[in-house]
Amino acid sequence: MEIGPIVRALRRNKVRAGLIVAEIALTLAIVTNCVAMIVDARGKMTRASGFDDDNIVSVRSTPFEPAFKEDGYLDNSLRQDLEALRALPGVVGVSNTNFLPWQGGGSSTELKPVGGAEGLRTQIYNTDEGTFDALGIKVTEGHGFTREFVDADTLRLRKLFAEQRPAGADGRPAEKFLQEVVISRAFAKLAFGDGSPLGKMLEDSDGDQYRVVGVVEEFYNPYGWPIHEYVVFFANRARSYQGGAAFLLRAEPGQAAAVAKAAEQKLLALNGGRNIRVRTLTEIKAQYFGPQSIVVTLMGAVIVLLVLVTSLGIVGLTSFSVTERTRQIGTRRALGARRVDILKHFLLENWLLTTVALALGCGLAIGVNVGIVSAAGGTRLGWLTVAAGVALLWTAGLLATLAPALRASRISPAVATRNV
Amino acid sequence: MVPYNLRLALLSLRRNRILSAVIVGGIALGIAVSTMFSTMRHAFARDPLPHKSDRVFYVRMDSWDPLKPYPGDDPNRPPTQITYQDMVALMRSDIPARQSGMYKSNLYLFPDPAVGRPRKVMTRLCFSDFFPLFDVPFKYGSGWDKKADQGPEQVVVLDEETNDLLFGGQNSVAKTVRIEDREFKVVGVLDHWRPTVKFYDVTQSYVQPPEGMYIPFNHLRPMQIRTNGNTDGWKSPPGPGFDGFLASETSWVQMWVELPKDRVQAYKDYVDAYVIEQKKTGRFPRPLNNRVTPMMAWLKEQKTVPDEVTTMMIVSLLFLAVCALNLTGLLLSKFLARAPEIGVRRALGARRVDVFLQHVVECELVAVVGGAIGVLLSIGGLAVINKWGQTLAQRNDLFRFDGTMLAVAVGLSLLAGLVAGVYPAWRVCRTAPAIHLKLQ
Repeated sequence: MEIGPIVRALRRNKVRAGLIVAEIALTLAIVTNCVAMIVDARGKMTRASGFDDDNIVSVRSTPFEPAFKEDGYLDNSLRQDLEALRALPGVVGVSNTNFLPWQGGGSSTELKPVGGAEGLRTQIYNTDEGTFDALGIKVTEGHGFTREFVDADTLRLRKLFAEQRPAGADGRPAEKFLQEVVISRAFAKLAFGDGSPLGKMLEDSDGDQYRVVGVVEEFYNPYGWPIHEYVVFFANRARSYQGGAAFLLRAEPGQAAAVAKAAEQKLLALNGGRNIRVRTLTEIKAQYFGPQSIVVTLMGAVIVLLVLVTSLGIVGLTSFSVTERTRQIGTRRALGARRVDILKHFLLENWLLTTVALALGCGLAIGVNVGIVSAAGGTRLGWLTVAAGVALLWTAGLLATLAPALRASRISPAVATRNV
Repeated sequence: MVPYNLRLALLSLRRNRILSAVIVGGIALGIAVSTMFSTMRHAFARDPLPHKSDRVFYVRMDSWDPLKPYPGDDPNRPPTQITYQDMVALMRSDIPARQSGMYKSNLYLFPDPAVGRPRKVMTRLCFSDFFPLFDVPFKYGSGWDKKADQGPEQVVVLDEETNDLLFGGQNSVAKTVRIEDREFKVVGVLDHWRPTVKFYDVTQSYVQPPEGMYIPFNHLRPMQIRTNGNTDGWKSPPGPGFDGFLASETSWVQMWVELPKDRVQAYKDYVDAYVIEQKKTGRFPRPLNNRVTPMMAWLKEQKTVPDEVTTMMIVSLLFLAVCALNLTGLLLSKFLARAPEIGVRRALGARRVDVFLQHVVECELVAVVGGAIGVLLSIGGLAVINKWGQTLAQRNDLFRFDGTMLAVAVGLSLLAGLVAGVYPAWRVCRTAPAIHLKLQ
């Protein structure tokens, strides 16, 4: 097949060729930038938390009955709730903790390695003996907390904070306390470097100290500040009249929805002077990633519609060009060109246009990307994305040309003799 | 002339229905996508108080840790909220025309047992100026007066939804409702008020709808109402319990003022003077860094227009450009295929400008029909996205198609038709009559 005649033919129809090239180039620029957004959003959505996300259920009890204002009543209710939740069929782990993954935040504080210069911000949550089990993670170095330890530490802390702590000469509390904590590997590395952090100490702005007794390997909970992987867990049973009590349950695989429903009914039956809110972590995560899933769906739809519009455009323009050249095609056929030669001519012509367009489109894609990144802090384009876009449009371009080109190949040589 | 051209255009569209469907469909998709994404961005970016947003200011003061700045992207930025004690001090100023410290909390509401179980309702604690400051619309009654701020009187403003729940939408002014362990008298019911961005509090998720109830700020101490918003602290409170919290350096209150145009500097000086005075007592250990930020600048700083939304709008406008290019190509081919016909018209005396106008009218007809279909499609698309809003922000009215957006859609359609149509129409009007007549 000769390329020369095709190029010369195209030269005679510069505007139409130019339009196809411009359309495909712009399409490539848009598609690649959409794909970059999708890849970015998917990357965030598929980041592992380290927890058994699919099987975790959050349960929150918020009392309104005034009886809950009494400490003893609150403790009793908490104990009963924990027992009732543990007894539910399908439940493998239960914990009373204020930590809730994927809610887009939590609580944080600043702690300083003893002897270190600077305070480090980290997430911080109360835990009990069941928390790590309920999250589906293991303390890989050192140990977690026993039931007896949690009970004792809860009482100790409560006593300490019941009244104003007498201040020393520096204005900070005179009597310091020491607390055992479990931290994440990422925070251990940040605070103490690569060695084992067991036995190392942290301190807060009051001079109270925290001794590391355990490390969890995996922890990721996106936070407003860049402390997603840093956490400190301390032992404390958390419940109050205003804040209620929060629980995490881990269900057997596939049982989360059933466990959630059963937990709500069970706790309400146990004590109706409160509201119970249950949500599976799957729901909470879906809500957290709502914006990303909207981006993925909308950008996906834009890509499909855009490729459709462009393909239909190519079909239309090629069809016109076939109709317009009916006589020439007939003449060529009469002079001995085979059907496959005509087919090849149109396919090659469009392939040439598409290729030129895609070469220009790569530059345009980068240009658009630079614009988007500077206007809206978008994602930078990767070469892989551009390559994928090129492959997609090459295929779409060929497929769109196929139908009109086949039609052209079926033009009978007899046409050439008519209408002259 | 135009009606005749319109008739010609309609005839031409009917002649090849599949082709016409492809032409109109392409431009309809372009308008649908660009209108939809522009509407989404408009919802986030619009000025909620266009006639006065330049006089409404958000106040911040740097009461943070002497050792390190408030965490965030920019170390020069003071905390996003202020402490309780500083809000009390600022509220003593008589410079602002209106002012209100505020926070939100989740409080128990006890409806009539016949209506439902007790439930938590997000409640805003604020001063009487809150309602006029933010142009909050009322259906029944009004906000409370300054006297009620001081008491504080047990008065409440309900939003439309809460009033529907408690009183079936009836005028409930002067009726009482039980919140936590007290009875409150209803003084006002809000009209439908659902801004996309909760512009008066963007410290947390700013797409949440406004609160269900509003009560005077000063209930915080007698009722010991803690905030449900962010609390940022760096120093242990000076005492135990709620009073210790109120006396602490923890920042958790939002502060808004409306200033007369010529008093902005005076107010800034007032804030600075207060902080300099406080420094004498050892507070405010950081360099003087107070901010009295105009509302729209504050929203911009807090990035209330998500980057993704801006990107999607840019992408959608490029999409429209592709659709316009597509339209140009298809119309060009269609018109040129018609050249013999044009040759006859020209030979019979039609001027070039007649032929040109005939084709421009056809292009605009295509664009307007496509635009109309596109608007319907984008309204449908927004309805689907609003459904998503239910999981995302517990509301299904994030995006609304309004008059402004209709005007944008019409403008985009006409522009696309014109841009796409001028070249094909010009090209075809230059058809020389003779050559085509010879070929007949």
